[in-house]
Amino acid sequence: MRREAAGDPGSRERAAGRTVGATALAALVVLVVLPLLPGTSNATLLTLTLMLTSIGVAINWNLTGGFTGYVDFGHAVWFGIGAYAAAILISLQSNGPQVGWHPVPAIVVGALVAGVLAAAIGRVTMRLKGPYFSIAMLGTFVAVREIVRVWSPLTGGGVGLTLPPYLNRELFYYLELALVVVLAAFTWWLRHTRFGAALVAIREDEVGAETRGIDTTRFKTAVFSFAGLSTGLFGALWAYQNTFVDPDIAFVEVRTIDAVMGTMLGGLGTVAGPILGATVLYWLRELLWANLLDYHLLTQGVLLIVIVLFVPRGLVGLFDRRGASLLELWGWKGRSRGLRQSSAAGGEVEAAS
Amino acid sequence: MTALLEARGVVKRFGGLTAVGGVDISVAAGEMVGLVGPNGSGKTTLFDCLSRVQPVDAGLIRFGGVDITGLRAHDVARLGMSRTFQIIRVYRDLSVAENMHLSIQWGALGVPELFARTDAATRCRADELLDLLLLGRLRHERAGNLSGGQRRLLEIGMSLMSEPRLVLLDEATSGVNPTLVADIADRIRAVNSEQQVAFLLVEHNVQFVADLCERVVVLDQGAVLAEGTPGEIMRDPSVIEAYFGDPGEGARDQNRVPSDPGAPDERVGEGSLHRSLAGSGDAADPDAGREEPVS
Amino acid sequence: MSYFAQALINGVALGGMYTILVLGFSVIWGVMGVINLAHGEFVMVGAYLAWMASDFWDVDPFVSAPVVFCVMVLFGYLVQRLLVNRIINRSSLVSLLVMFGVSIILQSVMKVSFSADFRLANTDLDGAWRLADRLTIPVTRFWVLVVAVGVTVALSLFLGRSRLGKSIRAAAQNREAARIVGVDIDKVYAVTFALCIGLTGVAGALISPLLAVQPFQGPPLTLKAFAITAMAGLGSVRGALGGAMVLGLVEAMLALYVDRIGTNLAVVASFVLLVAALVLRPQGIFKGLRHVDATST
Repeated sequence: MRREAAGDPGSRERAAGRTVGATALAALVVLVVLPLLPGTSNATLLTLTLMLTSIGVAINWNLTGGFTGYVDFGHAVWFGIGAYAAAILISLQSNGPQVGWHPVPAIVVGALVAGVLAAAIGRVTMRLKGPYFSIAMLGTFVAVREIVRVWSPLTGGGVGLTLPPYLNRELFYYLELALVVVLAAFTWWLRHTRFGAALVAIREDEVGAETRGIDTTRFKTAVFSFAGLSTGLFGALWAYQNTFVDPDIAFVEVRTIDAVMGTMLGGLGTVAGPILGATVLYWLRELLWANLLDYHLLTQGVLLIVIVLFVPRGLVGLFDRRGASLLELWGWKGRSRGLRQSSAAGGEVEAAS
Repeated sequence: MTALLEARGVVKRFGGLTAVGGVDISVAAGEMVGLVGPNGSGKTTLFDCLSRVQPVDAGLIRFGGVDITGLRAHDVARLGMSRTFQIIRVYRDLSVAENMHLSIQWGALGVPELFARTDAATRCRADELLDLLLLGRLRHERAGNLSGGQRRLLEIGMSLMSEPRLVLLDEATSGVNPTLVADIADRIRAVNSEQQVAFLLVEHNVQFVADLCERVVVLDQGAVLAEGTPGEIMRDPSVIEAYFGDPGEGARDQNRVPSDPGAPDERVGEGSLHRSLAGSGDAADPDAGREEPVS
Repeated sequence: MSYFAQALINGVALGGMYTILVLGFSVIWGVMGVINLAHGEFVMVGAYLAWMASDFWDVDPFVSAPVVFCVMVLFGYLVQRLLVNRIINRSSLVSLLVMFGVSIILQSVMKVSFSADFRLANTDLDGAWRLADRLTIPVTRFWVLVVAVGVTVALSLFLGRSRLGKSIRAAAQNREAARIVGVDIDKVYAVTFALCIGLTGVAGALISPLLAVQPFQGPPLTLKAFAITAMAGLGSVRGALGGAMVLGLVEAMLALYVDRIGTNLAVVASFVLLVAALVLRPQGIFKGLRHVDATST
């Protein structure tokens, strides 16, 4: 068995942690100051706001996908539900129910609706494991989008709903920046609580966690509902800024793909991973893919395959030795080259079928 | 003395196969009971039923006076029953210490404690137990990097973390270095006498059972075949019959066919009763740490 | 009454279509343990090939299907060598993500090559046979059903009787044991994948006159294939037929009794059916090639 080699890993990790912390702080300062500079246009602010949205959704996805090990292939559904719930409450469009609420309560209720639905749906789908859960969530996503399309008295159908314009970009920008910072801090804190550790235990061995007294059903549904609520909040905010929703722009597969890919790229099941990955992915798209619009999906597909096959531990994995390797989720444990250590004494036999 | 654990008529079927067919078993507070039987006799399935990992098809299970037949596994754990697994379940990507910290008495936690870091008392208790199990030096090692025997010890430690009233140990000695087996026996005896923790042990190592337990239950083909002191059991002709079957059966040991991965019950350590009875004293099982094929 | 009879006919016809759509997916999952999330895209590529044959050279999809089969077998073999080989035996998350990558690559390539316009292939086997007043059999679907049943029987015989088929089943049951008794696992996997992609391409060709051919038609098809396979048992050929018929009939009945239901809401139906089936009966309804348990505890 190989013990810790190469000096004291603890100090190396702490050093890496300090580097990450300093970088994050610097990035935060830039993000806070940027809108105050005279040259910053509304378009730039919108771009940055969308980046923050993307980061926020990735953080939420990582809560279930990375920590708890339930890989949600339909996470964008909560974004769409939040967006629609808020839009329905705000819109005075003649093809909708014309509720006409003030945006603030509407956005809050929008997020709550997403959270409640996530609790209800998660209660059922989280009884499934591995790929079954993933595909059930993909199904939920497609199904909800179709329901929204058909249920036109409430949702305006395929035509969509228009919202009254409100264009204070700066307010939204700072709001979302604050949200992302709080969310990141929250994830970091959560990971260090007993609850957060229990989530990782569920990922590692659900039956084991259950027999050791962890109420796995409640814990995993709780975190799933929270992720739904939080993504729903980003959706509701997006809807109001976008001043328009229809089924095809509120429910977009790409939002899930981005969350999954961003988290993978950064490092699955780590706190910094989704933030780093989603940021890199967002700028890759803005800078590179804007110039080859048609090949956007193509490059994204190639990138996904490359990440999964060749950088399974993500960017954070290059620094932090303890992030969960994607290869080691879902029962197929211990074969990733970096982590596998032959245990001569144990003579273990790893069987995979 | 009223029984701490009392199971009546437990039945568990897998499709057409009856793995456990109406077993009665009881464990008194602070008692040490051994559960032995040939492969496929339903020992692990019975454990799964008792700890509520598997639903039972019929029967009644009471623990500490509470009917737990319909409860879920975590409820049972919170009532004070913990267990280990024949196919070791540790959180492989977490450190040894974290594994211990995650095996606390979750039922005692309120919401504030749930959303707090692991407290000093828990850390202390975990460190003590790890030292006791000779894992102290490895507390920051990733659990997946431990050897099979060390992982068994860790799992035993985890089962003791929650201060249980009853521990179900499934094959606690298989894959463990023979010199360590005696240590494990000592620890178990110490925990039993000092803290009045009851143990139910599934074992192939009969010497181990005989040393520890005052009462042994023999299971064969999903039913209780015999019950008594270790001495009585080892002299019982029906037990010997069940282990060896017709005379040619003992040869299975040498050219064993890999068993069906879907089979519900044991596949390690076949024949070690045979060896123990024959006086070879073989304790370590070469097949330990084998992982279950993932489905 | 005639409405009901018509719905029954429609359901069976739809079931035939789903059968041929699901077979390749089911066998790949059952034998190799790979959930082919790009399944719908392979269908789409097959459909585009048949549409091209129909549009450029005026070849009927039922005629071009064997050619499509051959082309797709080659394509499947390439994908297997290049990618799938690397993800067998990895966690299902890895294979899901890699195949998902393949699916968006194929969508993108097709969109760039053919635009997102909806296409339909022409077939001479169209129209409807009138059985009675307001009771008809759609001709194209009828022939799709015939081909589907034919392919199901052929595949069943191939897996059950032929030497290669037996190797494939052995590999599905126990890879290591199969290797020990001399089955060339790599070859078995390559053949299985290529063959299944060929079949999937044929499915695409056959539905090209029925379902709009477009770059993004894949995901709902993958979802349905998943639903049917998970219900029917992985790699179970007869199960695929049964599951497909159930789904076809459910959709047809829904269309009959529920107002305003389009094919879109049928996705909802198949999804609800899927989750219900998995939660209630995690090991599948039919016995498949591979033992599964979809629930966590």
